[in-house]
Amino acid sequence: MSAIVESSTDSLSARGTVRRRAPDKRRVLKKRLMPWLFISPYLVLFIMFTAFPLGFSIFLSFHEWNPTSGLDGMNFVGLTHYADIITDPWLWKSLYNTVWLAIVAGVPQHLIAIPVAYLLVSVFKGALRHFYTATMFIPFITSTVAISLIFYTIYSGNSGILNQWLLALSDVPVIGALFAWVPDAMPIRWLSSSALIKPAIAFVVVWKYTGFNIVIYSAGFLTVSKDLYDAAEVDGCSAWQKFWHVALPMIRPFVFFALTLTIIGNLQLFEEPFVLTAGDSGGVAQSGLTASYYLYLAGWEWHQMGYATAVSWILFLFIAVITSVHFYFNGRKGMGGDR
Amino acid sequence: MASVELVNLHKSFGTVEVLRDLNLQVSEGEFVALVGPSGCGKSTLLRILAGLDEASSGDVVIDGEWVNDLSPKERNIAMVFQSYALYPHMTVEENIGFNLRISGIGKPEIRRRVGEAAQILDLSELLKRKPSQLSGGQRQRVAMGRALVRNPDVFLFDEPLSNLDAKLRVQMRDEIKRLHQKVRTTSIYVTHDQVEAMTLADRIVILDKGRIQQVGTPTELYRHPANAFVAGFIGSPSMNFLDGVLSKNSKRATVSLADDTKLRFPTTDNLPAEGNVRVGLRPEHLQISKGGKGENTLRGTLELIEPTGAQNLLKVGIAGQSLTAVDNTLAELSINQPIEFSIEADKIAVFPPN
Ligand SMILES: Nc1ncnc2c1ncn2[C@@H]1O[C@H](COP(=O)(O)OP(=O)(O)O)[C@@H](O)[C@H]1O
Ligand SMILES: [Mg+2]
Repeated sequence: MSAIVESSTDSLSARGTVRRRAPDKRRVLKKRLMPWLFISPYLVLFIMFTAFPLGFSIFLSFHEWNPTSGLDGMNFVGLTHYADIITDPWLWKSLYNTVWLAIVAGVPQHLIAIPVAYLLVSVFKGALRHFYTATMFIPFITSTVAISLIFYTIYSGNSGILNQWLLALSDVPVIGALFAWVPDAMPIRWLSSSALIKPAIAFVVVWKYTGFNIVIYSAGFLTVSKDLYDAAEVDGCSAWQKFWHVALPMIRPFVFFALTLTIIGNLQLFEEPFVLTAGDSGGVAQSGLTASYYLYLAGWEWHQMGYATAVSWILFLFIAVITSVHFYFNGRKGMGGDR
Repeated sequence: MASVELVNLHKSFGTVEVLRDLNLQVSEGEFVALVGPSGCGKSTLLRILAGLDEASSGDVVIDGEWVNDLSPKERNIAMVFQSYALYPHMTVEENIGFNLRISGIGKPEIRRRVGEAAQILDLSELLKRKPSQLSGGQRQRVAMGRALVRNPDVFLFDEPLSNLDAKLRVQMRDEIKRLHQKVRTTSIYVTHDQVEAMTLADRIVILDKGRIQQVGTPTELYRHPANAFVAGFIGSPSMNFLDGVLSKNSKRATVSLADDTKLRFPTTDNLPAEGNVRVGLRPEHLQISKGGKGENTLRGTLELIEPTGAQNLLKVGIAGQSLTAVDNTLAELSINQPIEFSIEADKIAVFPPN
């Protein structure tokens, strides 16, 4: 104790020999400005391509504007567009289709991806696992338009390979009985009947995005330490119980993240329905018309930019509400508060 | 409770032989510590015992039953992991009761048994917490509770205290010992810390390079180490080894050190052959002496003093090598002064050269 006291009276500051620098205004200013200088390239781009269009689209939604008539052709109409939207049957139809597709094209992605990722991680090691994961990731990085065009030919009524396969299956002994109805139903018009077009679109979406979710869930399962599985085994868990009681709860944050991406992505579905209906006003009876598709039609086919931006803001509110509900119910556990 | 027996156990990972020809018997209610340096195969041995890994060859017998093909659950063993391996998404109560729940035991029964285990481990206040809200020592106790609650035939511990700070480690060590005296369940305890092994175990198994080096009570291992590895591993601070040359007749043996110091002692049966040997001298057996004309006196220079409170550790240069000695008298000494030690003849150990 005494040693500490002694040394403190003996310290540099106590003897008044510490050198102090006078505050320098230029140094302070430089310190303040530097960070802004560094983020300014991003800031400029952000203002030009994100903030300004965002503000402009709000402004636009209160106007009537055909872009071909130039900026002079803008007419202020107030809330007219929003009032019209409430009674627009196509808008409601497109929202219904959007929700339908979000669910039917969303849920299976995860029901498939979770078990597949679990098997990938628990059965395959090293290079082989990377190979399989990469393979399943390919649809995700392939152009959506290219994929949709290929499925367009696959679904084709007369020459499409899907119908040809179904016909061939009906000729196979034993299992052919299951497909006995096929020859009578030919040609099955996958893309031009109002009942089949949504499932056809949903299949393409599931096919494209499941691999992406497998990658997310594989990463999730890899974070679960081997000790936990060992402990579960000592606790008497079967393989299924290990999955259900240990692995699945452990990847909750990943499920939450992947679901959020799916919800936001599926509510903005555009290319798949657009290509598969050949861009023709949402297909038969607008059965393939999604909200994004509809605002595209309004803006670029009918040249009603003001109305289209109003639709986009309605779609934004819609996505915001659904995502908030998802966050409200799943957010706390999903954010991984246990770890 | 059950006995455990390992018969001719081998384990290889690919071409790497981790365990070789291992034989071990643990009787009912015994507390056996498995000690060895890191990477010597302790965890592997425990995992084979638990049924988490398969042996390459050899048998595991629990309670007189051959269990090679049984799952961990069917072996009725409980294991405490080094990382604790608590389920982060479950509360303390759910963690402890998880294996009962998996076994299909009813809720009231689970509640009662978890309550009992929590009582013993002083966890009753913490039952509703998640592992992330517990301190290291509390997590360790939950891991113990999870093992305790099921009344297993055998407890397996894999370095359960190595993630705790020194003070907590001593405290938990005592708790484990008290617990074992209460429940008397056969326990196999893996550690790389020989002090932990000595204080806890009825018998210690020393493992090195996949082979059992010696099995015995703590005192046996300390007094009669079978080889230089065991001698160096057991005891703290560890034994000093000096190079020397042995000559012997039927009654007397002599080791000459590099500086021509002679150590003389009675010949015993397990002395190595004449010629180059290593002499083992325990730090606590070296007594500071003055002007000793008697036998077995070592002379050197004091190089370093390390005070530990109750005793000083002296680093001494003797015969061109560095030795550690324990000085319980806290003598006033200064660095670089000449110093002299004597050792009793029956405390001198001799091992074959490397
Ligand atoms: N799954 C495994 N594959 C290959 N080698 C392993 C595996 N598990 C352990 N080993 C090797 O076996 C040896 C013993 O490991 P371990 O039993 O964990 O040692 P300890 O617990 O005594 O520190 C080490 O050399 C380690 O590298
Ligand atoms: Mg280990």
